[in-house]
Amino acid sequence: MIANRGEIALRINRACQELGVSTVAIFSEADRESMHVRQADEAFCVGPGPAARSYLNIPNIISTALITRCDAIHPGYGFLAENARFAEICTDHGLEFIGPKPKVISLMGDKATAKRVLRDAGVATTPGTGVLASLDDAYAAAESVGYPILLKATAGGGGRGMRVVLEPGELARAYAGATAEAEASFKDGRVYIEKLIRSPRHIEVQVLGDEFGNIVHLGERDCSMQKPAHQKIIEETPAPHLAETVRNSLQEMALRACRSVGYTNAGTLEFLAAGDDVYFMEMNTRIQVEHPVTEMVYNIDLVKEQIRIASGEPLGYAQGDLVARGHAIECRINAEDTNNHFAPAAGTVSKVVFPGGPGIRVDTHVYAGATIPPYYDSMIAKVVAYGDTREIAIARMERALRETLVEGVETTVGLCLEILATPGFRQGRYDVEFLPKELAAR
Amino acid sequence: MTSHRAFIGLGSNMGDRAANLACAHEALSAVGTVLRASSVYRTRPWGRLEQPDFYNAAVLLETDRSPQELLDALHAIERRLGRTEGERWGPRAIDLDLLLFDDLTIAQPNLQVPHPHYAERAFVLVPLAEIDERFAAMRDALDPGDLAGVVRVGEYDLSRSGAGRRESVEPMSSTNAASVGERVRALAAFLSEGDAVRLRIERGDEAIELSARRSAAARTHSSDGSASEAPPLRVDTIKADLVGIFHLGRPAPVEGELLDGDRELGYIEALGIRTPIHSMGMGRLVSIAAGDESPVEYGQPLFSIARG
Repeated sequence: MIANRGEIALRINRACQELGVSTVAIFSEADRESMHVRQADEAFCVGPGPAARSYLNIPNIISTALITRCDAIHPGYGFLAENARFAEICTDHGLEFIGPKPKVISLMGDKATAKRVLRDAGVATTPGTGVLASLDDAYAAAESVGYPILLKATAGGGGRGMRVVLEPGELARAYAGATAEAEASFKDGRVYIEKLIRSPRHIEVQVLGDEFGNIVHLGERDCSMQKPAHQKIIEETPAPHLAETVRNSLQEMALRACRSVGYTNAGTLEFLAAGDDVYFMEMNTRIQVEHPVTEMVYNIDLVKEQIRIASGEPLGYAQGDLVARGHAIECRINAEDTNNHFAPAAGTVSKVVFPGGPGIRVDTHVYAGATIPPYYDSMIAKVVAYGDTREIAIARMERALRETLVEGVETTVGLCLEILATPGFRQGRYDVEFLPKELAAR
Repeated sequence: MTSHRAFIGLGSNMGDRAANLACAHEALSAVGTVLRASSVYRTRPWGRLEQPDFYNAAVLLETDRSPQELLDALHAIERRLGRTEGERWGPRAIDLDLLLFDDLTIAQPNLQVPHPHYAERAFVLVPLAEIDERFAAMRDALDPGDLAGVVRVGEYDLSRSGAGRRESVEPMSSTNAASVGERVRALAAFLSEGDAVRLRIERGDEAIELSARRSAAARTHSSDGSASEAPPLRVDTIKADLVGIFHLGRPAPVEGELLDGDRELGYIEALGIRTPIHSMGMGRLVSIAAGDESPVEYGQPLFSIARG
């Protein structure tokens, strides 16, 4: 069963068809005419439009899987993909959850615990301290962590009780401000110090693990091109200008982390990189939106691998057998108004032409006449370009985006073309602050 | 700091309800900027009918808080204004629901955005549509009977209410009475056109009953002359609201059968639990749309029942 919608539901259906596995799709009343419903062997409506009552409706989803006699459930990304309780319920009903074990999902879902466990396993995490006892304590701690630092409230969130401190002279005032604000906001004035990583790159490592303890990585992806609020828009692999030593250390840490928790199936470890320093941020225990760039350079079908692993097959290859070749870039085409804070644009796609030709892959569920319901993620397509070199991949992507035509809703096609044309992207010199700054300068 | 936009539903059915809403509105101004506020509406309560009517409203709030922080703030306001925990659907001084937060979809045990039931509740969508027309289509899709149960209370408007305003509002204003009159006239017109014999409408503690006999002229025009057998007013479709295996009740209902009261027509078995399907009152069973012991999906028609 495919417990998802949109392009990823279609992607999973394709993998199943190639493996000769029959599929059951689920859908909401808003998605009755959706492509994944037509392509699957069977399809069941599980609830009305709002996701909470359909794609997150665990009883109806499990009931569908049981009455259609499914063996396994692929959760895709989003919705129930990282819900440990759902994975557990699947197991309780004799359904194979295609992903890691529930206890690993739940461990990685708790960011603070995940950081602590992986730090103990020798993975670099953002340097920081425990709760500070006093201002004197703060001076000593800040000195050992190294400026610039962040003062953060233990009970914090949303930026309250948080202060950036660039140098020792600012610490006293920031400490007083942060504790007072934390006390006022959360009735808990305790603060701690974390190193401030300025203008980091977002680099992540893809891993695959089978049920027999074999774990491999499939290189990294650079996802630093992000809209405000940390939303990825363009991803590429390999990461440009990444020092070989840094690349090796990322890969090694990813494998070490997976071994320490007994990781199985596909997963991604996200790191912040600043110069030669890399810090583990979090682990995503699912297939990711940007997985196709990895598939292009490794010539491996990650979704098929997920299904094989879940059915108890061993990986069948070792790290040494895996060789990346060429360069791949993905652009996310979202139905969004790029001139209005990326407001999602629901509506009907009146006309659509997607690109093709050498080195281009398009993953989409959209067709002419398709409606974009207001309830879900705004992504309507992923355009992936492959080339022997980064330059060839960029040229192909520009050509492909110019071929792309979507009428009826606003999209990010134009914005992606603008980004591709910037000197920063051309030279592969960009970090997570690149796009927000460019947008602010408009 | 990033600013977010959240739609919040307000409800009260205890004490001075209008004043409670005004206080909650005031308290929300401390959490962010209230960009828009709806009129106050009066609604019959859900679940338990013996409690007083609800007063409902909606606001659009601009805030820098995260969804979880905003939810915590709403709970804090509820506690401060005296909502007593424990009784679900019981009387409450103030009830604040986080309906939508930007375009986010969040599904955590304690925090669900969009609010899981907002799209099906007239008392939520009527005020929402007043402050943002994008919800008008969703509102119009609701059952007209449900929409009629949500009545605007006079000219009371949250955005114009001063801080801590304590005047109470007459629950049954003249505007409301006029709308009842209008409804009666509309029904009378409907009856004079149709073949209906009797119609009863209940709303709140009022009931309107209208009877109409077909006129002698109409009778002479009717070809078969069987004026005593008026056709039904409407046909209800009973649909599956969960996925499972459908079973007909025993003894099995038959098409054409007269249901002289509420009857269990069958059940859906899902995850080992049987959920009964009721006829929801009397009528004539027109058709059985799903096969006995067959799988059914959400929204699949099971029975059609003619009422009247």
